[in-house]
Amino acid sequence: MMKLKAFRIKNFRSIVDTDWQNISPDNITCLIGQNESGKTSVLEGLKVFYSGIISEDVLRSDLSLPEISCRFTIPKGWLIKITDNPGTELKELLSGLTHLELTRSWIADLSSVIKVSGEISQYLDSLEDAWRIYLNDVTVKLEEEMISIQDLETTFSKLIEEESDIRSKLSPGKEKKFSFRLFWKKPADMENQKNSHFPGLKNQLNQLKKQKEEINDILLKKQPVKSAGEKWKKLQEKCTQIDDHMKELSLKLEERHQRMTLLMRPIEEDVDSEWKEVLYDYRKTKSEREIRIAQLDNHIAFSGYIIDGCTEEEAENKVNEVIQSYKSQFNNAYLGKKYFEYCPVFELFEDFGSLLPNRIDMEDIVSGNEKVEGYKAARNFLTLAQLDYSFFQQPSSRILKQKIENLNNTLTHNFHDFWQQSIGRNNKIHIQFELDHYNASYEGKAGKPYLEFWIKDEGERLYPKQRSRGVRWFLSFYMELMASANVIDKQMVLLVDEPGVSLHARAQEDVLKVFENIKDKIQIIYTTHSPHLVEINKLHRVLAVQRDNLDSMRSTSRILDPLQLASASPDTLTPLQNILGNPMGSEGFSSKRFNLIVNDTGSFYMLNAIILLMGFKGKVCVIPSTNVSSIPLLCNIMMGWGMDFAVLLFENDDEIHMAELLKNSVFKTDSNSREIIIKMPGAFLNSEDILSTLDFKNHLLESREGITVPNSVYIREKELPRNFILSRFLSNVKEEKIKVSDFDEETLENFKLITDLLRGLK
Amino acid sequence: MNVEKQDKPDLFSLIPRQGMNDHVASLRYAQMIQRALMPNPAILKGQLKDFFILFLPRDIVSGDFYYAYHTKLKMCIAAGDCTGHGVPGALLSILGISFLNEIMQSDINLNANRILNRMREKIMLSLHQTGNSRDAQDSIDIGLCIIDSASWKLQYSGANRPLIMIRNGELTEFKPDKMTLGVEPVKEASFTNNCIDTKPGDSFYLFSDGFADQFGEITDKKFKYKHFKRIIHSSEELPMAQQRQRLESAFNEWKGKAQQVDDVLVIGFQL
Repeated sequence: MMKLKAFRIKNFRSIVDTDWQNISPDNITCLIGQNESGKTSVLEGLKVFYSGIISEDVLRSDLSLPEISCRFTIPKGWLIKITDNPGTELKELLSGLTHLELTRSWIADLSSVIKVSGEISQYLDSLEDAWRIYLNDVTVKLEEEMISIQDLETTFSKLIEEESDIRSKLSPGKEKKFSFRLFWKKPADMENQKNSHFPGLKNQLNQLKKQKEEINDILLKKQPVKSAGEKWKKLQEKCTQIDDHMKELSLKLEERHQRMTLLMRPIEEDVDSEWKEVLYDYRKTKSEREIRIAQLDNHIAFSGYIIDGCTEEEAENKVNEVIQSYKSQFNNAYLGKKYFEYCPVFELFEDFGSLLPNRIDMEDIVSGNEKVEGYKAARNFLTLAQLDYSFFQQPSSRILKQKIENLNNTLTHNFHDFWQQSIGRNNKIHIQFELDHYNASYEGKAGKPYLEFWIKDEGERLYPKQRSRGVRWFLSFYMELMASANVIDKQMVLLVDEPGVSLHARAQEDVLKVFENIKDKIQIIYTTHSPHLVEINKLHRVLAVQRDNLDSMRSTSRILDPLQLASASPDTLTPLQNILGNPMGSEGFSSKRFNLIVNDTGSFYMLNAIILLMGFKGKVCVIPSTNVSSIPLLCNIMMGWGMDFAVLLFENDDEIHMAELLKNSVFKTDSNSREIIIKMPGAFLNSEDILSTLDFKNHLLESREGITVPNSVYIREKELPRNFILSRFLSNVKEEKIKVSDFDEETLENFKLITDLLRGLK
Repeated sequence: MNVEKQDKPDLFSLIPRQGMNDHVASLRYAQMIQRALMPNPAILKGQLKDFFILFLPRDIVSGDFYYAYHTKLKMCIAAGDCTGHGVPGALLSILGISFLNEIMQSDINLNANRILNRMREKIMLSLHQTGNSRDAQDSIDIGLCIIDSASWKLQYSGANRPLIMIRNGELTEFKPDKMTLGVEPVKEASFTNNCIDTKPGDSFYLFSDGFADQFGEITDKKFKYKHFKRIIHSSEELPMAQQRQRLESAFNEWKGKAQQVDDVLVIGFQL
């Protein structure tokens, strides 16, 4: 149901942020790029998106933690079916979605959580934001209340003090003292004073009492708020403590990561056990923090209702209500986990160590003994053969052997659909398995059945291990893939790092055939340096990976999609340029120069040699096609990339026909097509005809035999290695072994035609 | 010695008389064919103001040949001298004429030197010359002119054969490349193209080395090239037919009863 559509990788090895990268809609995506460009990091990133397991060595030196997102296409309305009671708003959102984003992010202890991201996350986050805003408002109110309570309490204390002061004045003891202190005053004065003080003090006292009572009433009423506030403070304090502790622990973890990534050596064991304690503490604290924060949030909400005058019971109920209204029952992590159950399996085929064994006991297969050598490959084999254990319980050994024979033929036939290589002459390899039983010489195993595998050709019958690495790799690869395609009940994303490095070019093309065959069931993302693993007419499958700074391995990797390939470095595009025909590392498609497409690599060499010989300084880049028939494809690429280009055509049948084809189909809508198609001035059948026969003999052939046909015809008739000859010519020109003064006037006249033509390109 | 004489029979005595007659007859027939291959001088009439061809083969068939080809605006005239004379020279001359025809028919607009370059390729290919010391050393010396009647330009390219031009009584010699149409000892190079702006009345002469190399009966010395040029120069005011007569007389006079050493060819033409 879920099909990978795009991915985004952040902070993973050399990758800072790939931004969203769409994978090919036809399920085969190819990553090209130089060594160390970050291709494998992309595959590993996708793998850990699925597994969640990373180690320190994937961390970048700034220790920013990885975050990997995948966007999947889903059938419209499908999310509703797999989400229980989503609520009105969420249901509306889910019903309209045709894609789903999941993001896995890692934290300091390198554990990870998978969350929904994208539109669902935005919706859930908006609810969360509203909840936070609500909590903030309540917090502000609570703080104000607490300040007000504190002010009232201060005032109340002051009133008590004042009251006690007045009371002391009014009490007898106080009067005595008062008299004593005023003993020197005249008795008449004293009497007068006393009379005048007491009524005033009494009034004051009454007023104070009244104020006190009022404040006390308020304080009594605010008592629940006060209690709530005090609890809030305690909870907050606890949270702060936990945060501080988390910071300390994070620092320790970072230190370790730093040591791991910078020193690039294992940590000593005692340090490691210490780290394990830190890790345990970190995880415990983290989970406690989550609980505390939830408590704090709930208490803040609770406090808000207490402030509003609710009873505790009422407040409790209202908190539940408000949580329901502000917070969905779902959060990003919950839904992420839920939807991830339907996520395609991401499988990285990097190690084909589990090659087909020479022999495996039936007992091990039946018991699923994965530790036995070649178990996985044997299982794959049986899966492909669609066999289970019951097959081997056939009582008649004659029938069983016949069935096995038929199966061997079927398997071999199927394998040959993909493996086109022949061994030696015309005989192709045959896969074969046999059921046999141990004889008495095998102690403890005598009589027990085992399966024996062979890879045969007409001349030899060899065990798998006796075969070449290429054959073993391909066979193993084929079986894993086909078995996976047969078995898995959900989508699979197959990640293959440099498939077929040990295979012949022809067999590499066979790998592509396998990909094509399984792409409806399995999405494939693979890296390659090989031009044989990139299909020229399917460049939409190509993503180029390269470093931001091509000279620095410390710089970050970035990914260029098919429309941006033009801006990739020539080295990155090497596989493409090889299949398109461009053989020179320093040359390539250029958006800054005028691109002149020529029929083939030989012409590329020749024109570049002429450019060098004539010292032509114009901004022209010669782009060779693999052959004349590939010219329209190159034109389409150039047009797609918005590059300035023209096609130079010679006067041979193929190119005359191509000129018509280009005019009628490729440049049909382009009014400037005449300028785009340039016919080579002079009747040259091909680029080597630009040289006079004499110069052709002297500088290209280094031979003195009489030649009475055009140079190109001579090369064809004699079946000479044209590209080699022209490449050597260019090389000699570069090394200044051949100079322009070495050519005759006929050749020089032709060279001038070429440079005039190049000069006229706009 | 007697034994030796018996072992080595006299070859001439073995050839029947009738056989010899047949051989000469064959050569006569070959001569007809060779002459037929060379252009009829009549085709040059109308194309040139005046011209002559002095063609004196040493044997029945000749190693020298003349060639002419023209279109409305262009004309090619050449005088070739193949190595050797007699039958071997004649066979090579037939090749030369054929190659010139092929080249001219494929592209009349070729420069004179490119015609020679191409011709050399054809000869080297035909004679299997690859620069190997064991290659056949046969070749053709040739002087070739392309006349463009529209622009009054004359291109000349020479393989060991010069061109003499006489303008207003003044003789100018255009030196050839010291190369032949065939394999060179070290390396083949491109022939030089000489482009001459002609004027009405200019006379040009192409020739083989047979005239200058002729030994005199009395002097037993070669006629020499400087004397040849002197005759050409001294006769420049005469009509071409008379120039031819004068050259022929001078040649015969010098030769006397001595044997002609080589084929003689002189082509003179006036624009």
